[in-house]
Amino acid sequence: MTHRTRTLTAVASRDVFLVSNSVDELGGITSWSHQMARLFSERGHRVHVLGITPAPAGRRHDLGDDLPYRTTTLYDVHPPTRPPAGVLRRRVDPVDRRRHAAHLDGMRRRAARLTDLFRAAGPGAVVIVTQVWAMEWVALADTTGLTVIGMSHESYETCRRSSRFRRVQRYYKDVDRMLTLTREDADLWIREGLDHVGAMPNPLPFFPDEPSPRRAKTVVSIGRLHEEKGVDLLLEAWALVCVNHPDWTLAVFGAGEEEPALRRQCADLGIEKSVEWRGRTADVPGALRESSVFALSSRGEGFPLALMEAMATGVPCVAFDVAPGVREIVTDQVDGLLVPPADTRRLAHCLERLMSDQDLRDRMGESARRGVQRFSTDRVVARWESLFDLLAR
Amino acid sequence: MNRQPDISVVVIVHNDAARLLTAVQSVLDQTLRGVEVVIVDDCSTDPSYAAAQRLAAAHPARIRAFRLSENSGAGGEPRNHGIRHASGRYVMFLDSDDVLERNACRNLLEAAETTGSDIVSGLCVRRHLDSRHRGTTKWYPWLYESTRTVDPVSELPDLFVWDTLSTNKCYRRGFLIDSQLRFPKGMFYEDLQFIAEAYLAARRITLIPNQVYFWNVRQKAESKSVTNSRHEITNYTHRLEIHRRIDALLADRGLDDLRRAKDRKFLKHDLVLHLRDLPLRDDAYRREFAALSQEYLAGIDPTAYEAVHASVAICAYLLRQGDWERLIPAVDTLMHRDKISSPLAQRDGRVYWTDAGGHLDDPLGRRVLDVTALGYHHRPLERMSLRNELTGFAAAGTTVSLSGRITNPLGSIPPGAALRGELVLSARRKSLQSFTFPVRSLRHDGSTVSWETEADLGRRLRPLGIVDTVWDIRMRLEADGARTVSRITAADTALTGNEVPVRPRLTRLTADRVEPHVSAKGHLAFRLISQGPAATSASGLIERGVHGAPGALGKAAYRKARALRRKLTSTDTKLRAYHEVFSRLPVRGRTVVFESHLGKQYSDSPRALYEEMRRQGLDFEAIWSYQGSPQGFPEDATLVRRWSLPYLKALARAEFWVDNQSFPLKLTKRAGTTYLQTWHGSALKRMGFDLPELKAMTRDRQREQHDALRRFDHFVVRTEHDVGTLAKALRLDEQRLLRTGYPRNDSLVRARERERAVGRRERGPLARELGVPQDKAVLLYAPTFRTPGRFELPFDVERFAEQFGDRYVLLVRAHYLNHVVLPPSVTGRVIDVSTHHDAAPLLELADALITDYSSVMFDFALLDRPMLFFTYDYDTYAHDGRGTYFDLASRAPGPVFATEEEFHAAVKALDSQALAYAPARERFVARFGEYDRGDAARRIVDQLFADWKHR
Repeated sequence: MTHRTRTLTAVASRDVFLVSNSVDELGGITSWSHQMARLFSERGHRVHVLGITPAPAGRRHDLGDDLPYRTTTLYDVHPPTRPPAGVLRRRVDPVDRRRHAAHLDGMRRRAARLTDLFRAAGPGAVVIVTQVWAMEWVALADTTGLTVIGMSHESYETCRRSSRFRRVQRYYKDVDRMLTLTREDADLWIREGLDHVGAMPNPLPFFPDEPSPRRAKTVVSIGRLHEEKGVDLLLEAWALVCVNHPDWTLAVFGAGEEEPALRRQCADLGIEKSVEWRGRTADVPGALRESSVFALSSRGEGFPLALMEAMATGVPCVAFDVAPGVREIVTDQVDGLLVPPADTRRLAHCLERLMSDQDLRDRMGESARRGVQRFSTDRVVARWESLFDLLAR
Repeated sequence: MNRQPDISVVVIVHNDAARLLTAVQSVLDQTLRGVEVVIVDDCSTDPSYAAAQRLAAAHPARIRAFRLSENSGAGGEPRNHGIRHASGRYVMFLDSDDVLERNACRNLLEAAETTGSDIVSGLCVRRHLDSRHRGTTKWYPWLYESTRTVDPVSELPDLFVWDTLSTNKCYRRGFLIDSQLRFPKGMFYEDLQFIAEAYLAARRITLIPNQVYFWNVRQKAESKSVTNSRHEITNYTHRLEIHRRIDALLADRGLDDLRRAKDRKFLKHDLVLHLRDLPLRDDAYRREFAALSQEYLAGIDPTAYEAVHASVAICAYLLRQGDWERLIPAVDTLMHRDKISSPLAQRDGRVYWTDAGGHLDDPLGRRVLDVTALGYHHRPLERMSLRNELTGFAAAGTTVSLSGRITNPLGSIPPGAALRGELVLSARRKSLQSFTFPVRSLRHDGSTVSWETEADLGRRLRPLGIVDTVWDIRMRLEADGARTVSRITAADTALTGNEVPVRPRLTRLTADRVEPHVSAKGHLAFRLISQGPAATSASGLIERGVHGAPGALGKAAYRKARALRRKLTSTDTKLRAYHEVFSRLPVRGRTVVFESHLGKQYSDSPRALYEEMRRQGLDFEAIWSYQGSPQGFPEDATLVRRWSLPYLKALARAEFWVDNQSFPLKLTKRAGTTYLQTWHGSALKRMGFDLPELKAMTRDRQREQHDALRRFDHFVVRTEHDVGTLAKALRLDEQRLLRTGYPRNDSLVRARERERAVGRRERGPLARELGVPQDKAVLLYAPTFRTPGRFELPFDVERFAEQFGDRYVLLVRAHYLNHVVLPPSVTGRVIDVSTHHDAAPLLELADALITDYSSVMFDFALLDRPMLFFTYDYDTYAHDGRGTYFDLASRAPGPVFATEEEFHAAVKALDSQALAYAPARERFVARFGEYDRGDAARRIVDQLFADWKHR
């Protein structure tokens, strides 16, 4: 990935490797990888989706067998977690030493396999590493002649609070380009001293032919029932709203560990009648079509797909402004309403504004549906291809 | 290279063959490959051109070398030549002693292509290669915090006036050609004009936060670069000429805002650069400098003086007026912002830098020289840093003779004061030693104090040697016991005489003489030197040792020792001492640790409770926590400094904690300790878990917060309003609440009862202390906290004193994290009472209260006296911020207003409004003061400390 040895000819189609932790894990990054893989394939690129390890049992997703691209997983079973980094202990304790050596050896063998795959690629090939853990293997492989891109699929702030922060700085330091989800996040990384950071948004997952009619008296929330998604904050706001709007319902889609606590909170607030627990849904477009307002009450976000999906369906959104990704997608007062993080009184106020004003809903819903098309798959793929070109110049 | 390069980098070189390679290599190493190098040699006399040709021969497709036929003397012409020969779509400039960041070209190109900008600019980083720490400084980083595009430059005047470099940028070549942009010929500061023209011509400019350019700064380089030799008058002439040209450009385009911003920058930056050197220059230079400046300064927008620091404005003004006598001292303040270098003058109730020279007859002079706002007149001598000017210096034998004079501002040192002085010599690098020499004679000369002395350095000064080569000299002056410390400024006095022999403790081999020397900031110092042959050769050896391997080892050991010390005194260590050592000691019965407002005050309910406990003669040991100074804290209690080890030990072992805000959150309370939280006021604004900041936290973080709050075993409330707001927001359960009212308010309730019984209001001793005349009523202005630092009064205090000074005395009490500055003109009519720890006596004295959202409203209401609510920023404060628990406007027991006019009207109508709002006050007290009955302290003692009573 440093100096190119092969001569470059103008290539219309490239070999594109998408490397993630797993190829078959339920969740955002995997579905993003397969969406991009499909899009790149459609553009004539030769795509290979690589995973380091199989998804853990219970979080596995059936990929079907008609994928228009190859998939490979390096390990048959999840490698033992890396021994703790105590250098002294590793030196002294023979068991630890052996375990560590075996782990490293295993990594090198998988990296050699990556090297083989990379060497077989044509000129102009690109390796896109979607998660920094996977980069640890790519860094061991020989990427001479390939362009390597490392991605951070979360906001700078979220990353900074996690162990990934140091690892991103270490493993993405020498890639050809690091990508974040928004320009604002990229600028923050640049100020951290990484000068090779750019931004690339996620593409729209779908764009329905028919927008929501926005007539149903339903506010919708879609997401895992996890503390980070802040459904507790939405319930707090809903308690302030629903007294004035007894004919409205809050539909909460999603499942998760928080469900019992949230149901209890609902009972304590005395709002059980106006809240519907709808569980996990396979039909997000359907859920959105049946609602008129979308609420995003998260404590942290990256580049929220649910928000984009709602907008694509023409459902106006109220969202806590918790990440650059949220501000990037929603233009406050134009195609949605942004609320300072965790300010439940203001969230309530904004929900009420939309609930009591059909015209406003229609206007913002339509603007949202128009505006969100700047993240259409065509435009995002075009941005990727011009990035490939830039990196080859 | 077959296709057109994306970027041409023009590298200019003059007699710098060695570094040229590094500069060019930084271009070859760019991640963007489509970059060509155009080297232009400014007719060097060294092998620079040959080096350039070799590079071109080695990389024929990427590098071309050119040479000017004669030396142009500046960077402009070579760059122009480079532009002519560049073939890339974009052009950049690089100097032979600097380098580009690896991704610079790719980042600049990407930004240029996505935005279509004519100029893209990135962050320049200065690298101080010769300094000890090899530090870096970012060049105007606030401009480069995030990616942004401006079209045109007038959207961002700061960019135009501050970032005047041409090198950290990428220009569309077509744009340079179409706009006929060229560097001026044969001028210094060629960048300034080029970049000004380029900014003005560009339709669109993009800034990126990426580092693109490393500017290598070499202070000690033998051939000083232009910016280092700015003392030359030619430099200044060129600078002014370029400024004039830019002013003309701005005038042509009618860009008055940019011109004003540029005028401000000229005062703040360009002028200051030259002024700083002025005290070190001779008269001829000063005269020429003044002549040049006066002409230019005459054209500067007068409002620019208001936008710069007072010291800058004063210097510029005095320079403009040619007042040398006062300018040179003023420059001392310019370089040391805190120093007072003029005797100052009080006139018409304002404080002026000077009242001489007829400057106060000039309206601009009067404005610029008015330094009332700096608050000098509030400062006691101890907190003044005074100019001390050296007037005589001689060295003979082992002795130096010194004389000087110290500025005496506003007569702070009264004539006839008992004066004592001494000179203190201490090593610049921290050492244990310092040496003092008495000052022989001191004389009060009105606006100065003159002094004279001899110091036998040869006999008395015993440096260690090697580690303490520079000795700073300070003077301590005592006037009637008040002490001020000053540095000695050596500007116009020649430091003559021989070097004085000294005997370092590490033998004279390390050094054998001291010589006087003037520090970079203009202060007198001494430094050790070696003169004898033995000392010279030995110190050479030592020098090599210090900078060689043994020195490195020694330094590493020193650093480790320092790090260890830091660690031992760190918060973590202290917390461990608290939890692992002190908390294992047994709890001592009948000990109470008191704290008020984080130890900043002896005040509020903890004080009232403490005094009640003393009054009842309880048998207990009292420990008070303080922060800063222990002054004003009770003498019959043990005093511990907040966060000191004795403080932590006291907390770990106390039976009771009493506090009104919070003891350090990270201290776990022991099971044997009871925490009485008196709190410091009912709430109007939302608090605790009602705030979005806390709601946004993860559950773990929320739990930590909650754990800290759950340390409160008892929480004092004064109303059910507190129960519904504070107690809920802090998640305190019912059994922790003490419904006693606030001890601090007992005196207020009693005052009101007394007033009703006696039929008139009695004033306590405080009125006399403050000098409030009997025949004037007292208004108290107590605003709430907004931002730290100086609080700007929302009304003209002089106008207020004029209007109402015959009837009222206005007391101003800023929040304890703020301070106010009052002009002398209002003395006796408006009084700053911010330093009074305890609010209760002030409230008792006040006949009416003016506040905004401060919780003082709930306390003062108990007195049943008029209240005014000056809520000039209600919308931003209450709505945009955190929100309120109730609507102040509808419940306030007095007029609520937002402007100065309404404020005056309300004061005029005070008597009639007092009556009109009486029912509202009653309702207010019923709601927000129901448990304040005058016996709170007693009830708390009965409830918690009854068994500590002597029988």
